[in-house]
Order: sequence, then C-alpha cells, then structure tokens
Amino acid sequence: MAKGHDYDFDLVTLGAGSGGTRASRFSAQKYGAKVACVELPFGFISSDQVGGAGGTCVIRGCVPKKLLVYGSAFAEEFSDAGGFGWKASKPDFDWTHLMSKKTKEIERLNGVYNKLLANAGVELIEGRGSLRDAHTVEVALSSGGIRTLTADKILLAIGGKPVKAPIEGSEHAITSDEVLALPDLPTPRRIVAVGAGYIAIEFASMFNGFGVDMHLMYRKDLPLAGFDGECRQRVAENLQQRGLHLYPKTSPTKIVKQSNGSFSVTYKGDTGESTLDDVGLVVFGTGRSPNTKDIGLEAAGVRTEKDGTIIVDEYSKTSAANIYALGDVTNRLNLTPVAIMEGMAFAATAFGGVPTKPIHERVASAVFTQPPMATVGLSEEAAVETLSGDLDIYTSSFRPMKNTVSGRAEKTFMKIIVQADTDEVVGVHMVGPDTPEIMQGVGIAVKCRATKAQFDSTVGIHPTAAEEIVTMRSKTRRVQGKAKTEPDTNESRSYQQ
Amino acid sequence: MMEMAGLTLHGLATVTSHRLRSRGALLHSCRATGILQSSLRPFAGFSPCQANPLCSATGLQAAGRSHRPCRLEQATRCQVQVRAASGNGASSHDSGHYDYDLFTIGAGSGGVRASRFAASNYGAKVAICELPFARVSSDKLGGAGGTCVLRGCVPKKLMVIGGEFSDSFRDSMGFGWETLGNGQLPQVAWERFMEKKNKELERLNGVYMKLLDGAGVEYFEGRGKIIDAHTLEVDGKRFTAKNILIAVGARAWRLPIEGTELTMTSDEILDLEKLPRKLAIIGSGYIALEFASIYNNYGSDVHVFFRQELPLRGFDEECRQFMNDQYALRGLNLHPTHSPTKVAKGEDGKLTLWTKDRSGKETVTEGIDHVLMATGRKPNTRNLGLEDAGVDIEESSGAIKVDEYSRTNVPSIWAIGDVTDRIALTPVALMEGMAFAKNAFGGESGAKPDYENVASAVFSSPPLASVGLTEEGALAEYGNIDVFTSSFRPMKATIGGGEGKAFMKLIVASDSDKVIGVHMIGPDCAEIMQGMAVAVKMGVTKQQLDTVVGIHPSSAEEFVTMRSPARQLREKPEPQKTEKEPELAAVPPKPY
Repeated sequence: MAKGHDYDFDLVTLGAGSGGTRASRFSAQKYGAKVACVELPFGFISSDQVGGAGGTCVIRGCVPKKLLVYGSAFAEEFSDAGGFGWKASKPDFDWTHLMSKKTKEIERLNGVYNKLLANAGVELIEGRGSLRDAHTVEVALSSGGIRTLTADKILLAIGGKPVKAPIEGSEHAITSDEVLALPDLPTPRRIVAVGAGYIAIEFASMFNGFGVDMHLMYRKDLPLAGFDGECRQRVAENLQQRGLHLYPKTSPTKIVKQSNGSFSVTYKGDTGESTLDDVGLVVFGTGRSPNTKDIGLEAAGVRTEKDGTIIVDEYSKTSAANIYALGDVTNRLNLTPVAIMEGMAFAATAFGGVPTKPIHERVASAVFTQPPMATVGLSEEAAVETLSGDLDIYTSSFRPMKNTVSGRAEKTFMKIIVQADTDEVVGVHMVGPDTPEIMQGVGIAVKCRATKAQFDSTVGIHPTAAEEIVTMRSKTRRVQGKAKTEPDTNESRSYQQ
Repeated sequence: MMEMAGLTLHGLATVTSHRLRSRGALLHSCRATGILQSSLRPFAGFSPCQANPLCSATGLQAAGRSHRPCRLEQATRCQVQVRAASGNGASSHDSGHYDYDLFTIGAGSGGVRASRFAASNYGAKVAICELPFARVSSDKLGGAGGTCVLRGCVPKKLMVIGGEFSDSFRDSMGFGWETLGNGQLPQVAWERFMEKKNKELERLNGVYMKLLDGAGVEYFEGRGKIIDAHTLEVDGKRFTAKNILIAVGARAWRLPIEGTELTMTSDEILDLEKLPRKLAIIGSGYIALEFASIYNNYGSDVHVFFRQELPLRGFDEECRQFMNDQYALRGLNLHPTHSPTKVAKGEDGKLTLWTKDRSGKETVTEGIDHVLMATGRKPNTRNLGLEDAGVDIEESSGAIKVDEYSRTNVPSIWAIGDVTDRIALTPVALMEGMAFAKNAFGGESGAKPDYENVASAVFSSPPLASVGLTEEGALAEYGNIDVFTSSFRPMKATIGGGEGKAFMKLIVASDSDKVIGVHMIGPDCAEIMQGMAVAVKMGVTKQQLDTVVGIHPSSAEEFVTMRSPARQLREKPEPQKTEKEPELAAVPPKPY
C-alpha cells in the first residue's frame, strides 16, 4: 500500500456515522492505513455544532425510531390480546419513562461507536472539520483551538439533515431530530405530520399507537411516493383503519401559535383552504438535504449538485482525485446498510488495492409503519416503465393467522413481479406484520436473480406468513413492459458468477 | 346457472384474457369438461366464499388464512381445467370400468391437495373419505383438515401466539406501559380462548370441506378400508377406483409404561378445559418443547423429562445447546437423561410421575395435573386392509413403503404424508400430493417430490428455524466447512429487558462456497428462514450473501453481515487460510 509520506494521515474522514465509521475502521484495521476521523460533539438534535459518533442512524434515525416503534406497537398487542382471552385493557403509558430508556440506550451505542473506532486504531477528533485544500483538513476543536491535519486521502461522510417546508410559521414545527427526543407527548394530544415519505409516515404510525390524534398531510394522492402503487394503497388503508386522518393532495400553508400554546394549521386541499385547530405539535417530514454548507468543498475542488449533493463516480470518488464521499451526503440511496457497503467498497478501493464498486441495485428496504412494509427490486410501475415484454404479477392478500382470533381486520399483502420470458423475479413487495424480517432472505434470492420456478420449488415453513411467498402459484395479471429494449444488465450478471 | 356463471366471468375476464379469447370459448370449454357445475358451485349466492374465504389454489393457506380473492382463484382453476381438457389430459382420464379415477383415504393436508389437484387441474373423477370431525382423533374420529388443521400446526400456533402475549406484557413495562399498575400482569380467561380456538378450527374444517366440494371431489364420511388393488370400502359401501391414494396420516403414540392410560397426547393437550398448574412432559422433540413453552408462557409449572443430554435431537448440536440454555432461562424445568417408569393417580386427582436417570436414581414428581406423552407418532396403518391388498409396510415403524413417486409396491395404490414417514411436515405432504397428481393424472411421469433443503421451524419460546444441514451433517457430507455464528441481544430486549438472546449460524461448504445450512434461534426466525430457504434452495454462495445489503434495523440483516468464520473445519489439516477477501464482490481491475 502506498503511503503518503508527507501527510499526517493516510486518511482523514469527516463524519463518524455509519458509513464514515465503517470506512475508517476497515481502512485502518484491514488495510493498515493511518486514519483520523473528525466528528462533532454528541447531542440528540443535530446542528452545525452538534453530532456524535454513530451519526444519524444511531442517534437520530433508524435506531431510536425503531425503539419508539417497538414501544408503540404494544398498543396493538394489548388490543389483540383481548381476542386471545387475555383480560388486558390498554394501559396508561409513560412517555418520559420510554424517553429516558431510549436516551440511555443511544448514549450506550454512541460509546460503542467511539470504542469501535478506538479499537481499530482510528484517532477520533472531536470538532468541526472543513477542507482548506485537497489534502488539508482544519478542525475547530470542541475543546477549543484549531487543529490542522494533512491527509493523502480525504473521505466526506457528513450525512444529511432534515429540512422544513418553507411555509409561514414553519419555525413552530419540529423535524425528526426533535421527534426522537421529544420530552413529552404534546397537549392537546393532536399532531399534524407533513409529508408522506417513510419518515413522516413512520412517525405518524408510531404516535397513533401512543394514543395521539394523528393527522397526516401530503401532496400526492397516496403516501410513500416511489414505492409500489398497490402497496401504497394498502398502507393508506391500514393507517386509516387504525384511526389516522389522512389528507391526500393537501399542502399546509400556515402555522399559527395560539395564546394557549396550541397551533392552528391552515392547509389547502382539493376542496379549498381550511384550518385545523387545537394541534399540539406539527412535525415536518419534508425531506433531507446534504450537510455540505461551509465545509470548504470549493477550496478542495469538490463539485456538488445545486442542492449540495456531492457528485461522485461509481467508486465514490469526487471531482478531486484524492477525495471521496459516501452515504447520505452523496444522496444515492440513503440507507444505513448502503452507506456501510459504500464504506467497505471505498476502503477496498482506496487502501486494499481492489477497486470495488458498491452495487445499488436490488437493495431491500423496509418502512416501519404499523403494520410495516418491505420491498426489494422494482415496483410494478417501475417494472412497466423500465422493462420490456410480458410481466407476470402475482398477488396475495390474506388475513394473518393471529388476526383470525384477535379479530383485527387487517390483511397482509404480498406481491411478486416476474419477467415472463426469463422467469426472473424482479420485484417483491409486502405489507404486513414481520415483513421487514421476511424480506431479508427473499432479498438475497432476488439479488441472486432467482426465478419464479426456484421460488415455487421451495417448500414452505408452516404455519408462517412468509410461506405465502413460495406458494403463489396463479398469476393475478399479466402486464406489458413499456421499455423498448431491456436495460443492459450484463455487468451485474457477470459479477454474480 | 347462467347468472352464476356471469358473476364468475367478471373475474375471469381479467385473468384469463390472454389465454381465452372470449367468454363463449370459456363456457364452452368448461362445459366440455363437465366441470362447470362443480367448479362454480361455491359461488352460489357468493356465500361460501365470502364467509369462508379460503378458496384458493393453495390449500396450505387454509391453515389460518382467509379472505382471499375467491373469484380469481376460482377463475384460475377453471382456466387450468380448460387447458387440461383441450390439451394432453387424455392420458389417464380413462376411468374404464372403475367408479373413480382416484379414491383418496384421508382428507388431511396431503390428501386434500392431491384430490383437488387431480380433479381441478387434471379433470380426474375423484372421491375422498374421511372420519367424522373431532378435535381428538381415534380409530373412529378425524375430520377434513387432518392433523395439521385440527390437532397440529394450526391450533398449536394459535396457542403459541396466545401465550406470547405474556412476553409482550412483560416487555411493555420496560417500554413505559403500566400494564396493570404495580407490576401485575394480565390473566387469561382460558375457557374463552379455547372457545375461540375451537371456533376457528370448526371454521377451517368447513373450509376444507368446501375446498373439496369446489374442486368437484366427492366426499364420503366414514372409515375407508382397502379390499384389493382397485377396490375399497367406506363403512360397508364398496367403490372401485383406478388409483387409490392412502393419506391417513399418523397418530401420537404413548410409551407403554405403568399408568400410561393416565397420560395424554398432543391431541388432548390442545384441548384442555382448564389451564394446568403443573404439567409434566415426556420427550424432547419439537412437539414436547412447543407445548412446554406454550404452557410455561401461560404460567404453568412445566417439567420436561427426556432421555438425551439435550432436547431437540436431530437438530444442530450447537443450536440444541443454545436452546437448552434459553429454555432454562425462561423457567422451564428440564430433566435430561430421565426416563419415565410409572404414572399413578392420587386421591386428590393429581398425578405422580416416577422417572429414573441413567445411574438408576429415581425421581418422584408429585402434584401434576397432566402428563403429556410426546414420545413420537405412528402411522395409521392398522385395520386399513393393507395386508389384503398386499401393500408392503415397514415392520418397525408401520409406515407404508413407497418409491420416490409415492407409489407402493401395488402399482395402483399410492401413499403420501405422515403415513409414509418421510418428512412429516404439512408442506411436504402438500408437495407429495401435488407431485402425485401431476404424475398420475397430469401426464408428468417424472414428477417427484424434492426433499432437499426443506426448511422447518420449532415454535417454542424461543423458536428455532433451520434449512439444510446441521454442522455435524455438513462435516460428514462435505468434510471441509466454514461455520459462521452470531449471538446477539435482539434490539427490543435492550429496552424491553428480556434476557434471551438470538443465535444465527451459517454453514458453508468451503470447496464450493455454497451455503449448505442455515440455523436461527430467536424472535421471527420462522418468518426469516423462509426467504433464506429460497436462497439455499437456489444454491446461493457465501460470496453472494456478502453482496446483499441488509435491511436495517432487523434481526435478519445479520445473515448478510457475517464476515469472519467462527471456525473452519477441514477433513485434512491444511495450512491456515488467510481471511477471505474482498468482502464485497470485487470488480476485477480494469484491463488498462
């Protein structure tokens, strides 16, 4: 491995989130690089001055979100238990208790990340780092003073942050950071969530479980734009059945704080403008933007998109030859495991002597609504748009066994999309209990280009919900792909072999 | 009739339009096969399908699924029949002088699937017989749905789900729910739960009857007995059939010890009137441990006695040890190396159990409400007329001997499911049933069930699921294997407070890099394993697994993030391999 003799470090990483930590550890531990990682001091609400090892996923994303979802899902358990003969009515709930436990767990995990880096021999430097030139990083240390680091290679893994829709009174609204550290449930117990991406919808679902009167406003006619249409429909129905108020094709225009501390939200929908009063809290799930302001990208020759996204090639290299970027700041596929994949590929490329591309196709993901949704590959709409020839759609909708006795009316929905001429499964989508867990193994099969015949030859595990995925024998419909020719997939095929 | 057909056709039009040009063609074809009436019967007034919406092409779903798109399934069935009638269906449809093309004895999972497929997919004339419905089976009692639906998988899983609420109540307190105040947990109204469970079983029994009816299979209630290669009798009434399918299943078997008549089997333990305070279980197969866990979750004092050092013989050894520890952690009283010698009933109605360990030391357990014998199952081959027809059975087990196509030594007699004692699992019986139908009636003489990489699950607390080989089996078969393991505290437990841990294990044949065994212990493992089974079945390699991106945060993602082997076992010692790399699929360096 070529070491930069004149530099303090082989690698300086800005950002100790999932991607930055993994890249730094691998570079140091596996390939022997001398690595420093710069991260802001720990805190729950991120800002220019606050961050912490673990990053978005661990401190203000996946992990605390999932913990709150677990907590909220007990509401469903209490109501289902009655059907099974348990004398359990829905008990009271203590939000502050859950928050203090969550805080403790996140602090523990932050410590784990610090230790992971230390054990890998990575020097963790606390402060705000910025680029002075292509080989120099300046850190405004949180202990005071400035430290200048030189590095052969620099990795930007500084993530993204939530943004609010620019409407009147948006300063009264909070974002995901604050939701995950909310000191108490709001009074009145009514929340308006704006947006219907997975973040907004997960929070809406979670608060609903905790007994909040939940109102969800979004621009499209269905939540979860970009996901499979039929699944979006199912999710919307489930949310509605659980008592959430959905406002499709609706945009809030104004938030006003009333003298009693509550808010009034004015919104514009199909039927004109109306106002919802007695709102305890307004939550914006209206997107995230890359953290690229004022970190000296121009000085180092790193180019960005207009929205601040760092432009990278398929090896995560920026326009500056020795500077790489990965994770949410590159806005490719903003998921923790993807950032981790990018981090490992970067380490292999930059320090392992094996140029390695992260593969972004057929990545499985989940939406932790209640019930959740999980997906891999193409949605039906995307399949029709991007593929040619016949596409066979297999769907199944069934009442999960638990619901036959609990009395819950919800059904599980599963869908397999098959390219007819190759018999290849190009997409699998599910809405229902346990689907995020079910999807991982299915995702392996889809990633490895399983055929429908291979699914069919697999014997079911009985009784499970997942067995449905190997027992869907009759297609529901056949649709036509609209693309003129099939996209070239040779590259990914060859690496499979 | 036409009105009913019209209702159905609405659904048909969308599904089958690519095959059938017009409604006329469809009706014509349906009539030609003579199945219109029977296949449309469930739609009369729509009621059967809507009330019991299990009409589906896959009878498996009957176990606890409902509200399916009936029209669609019905349409599909009709469509397939059309194909059979207009295509190559002639091969075995010649009933000749027989009453039926197929007579099936036993309407459990396998028998129902085979009969439905033979009738609806291949146009065979089919009859089936089954004993009258009851939750506890005997020589005289059974019911459509069979073991799985009435006294196996389904009621068991309902009780597992019911019992697991106790975990939820406990965990919920860690998450800030004040369950009943002052740390008390809710109680269960057992009778109410049993009532609901029984109602569900009756519903499913009805669904199975309707499935058969919908497929045009004639149903006879009574005990079937074989007279000769083409003749059988149901409660005295004689029938002839070109093919006879034996799908009579198996029954729980009790150890012949003193007082064994005081014990019960899985049939009865699924149907207790009162929640037992103290329960003794003999055996440590999956049935024993599932019931042990169920009643432990409901608060019974459960004692499990078994001959081995560890429970769950046949499963991966490391998993057995892990399960053993988890069971103990959850408060099961495990008594390894103990064999029962006697059961007696006291004046108070309570049972006493005597057991002996390997050294001959005796243990006496008193005050037991019930003793469950989970000591194996035996094929139901007695008094079936097998001797008269000359059908060979295994002497030791009583299982019917069959070839790989499920055919007995008498060419017109076939057998599937537990009565053949191959792999006694519902989905396997379904696979055998479908392969049989294809083979005997579909003109696919090569169709045979494939027993490789059949996944299965033990629904105890914690559950265990696996596919492929155990580490011991893999070592014996492949010699060189890499074993990857991971043990972790599930995320929910970090706040919920449960002490239990999850365990995952991958076994890789190092010469081919193929994944040949996957095992998991912990929440959701049965659901997780199904997709893993597809991957293993298609021959996934470890390198491929490593290219898969995880779903975060899930337990299952651990299966695609296991990077360093826990151990590498080699037939012949070789120089230690360096760690495999790169971990991601490396793109070969560009040629320039």
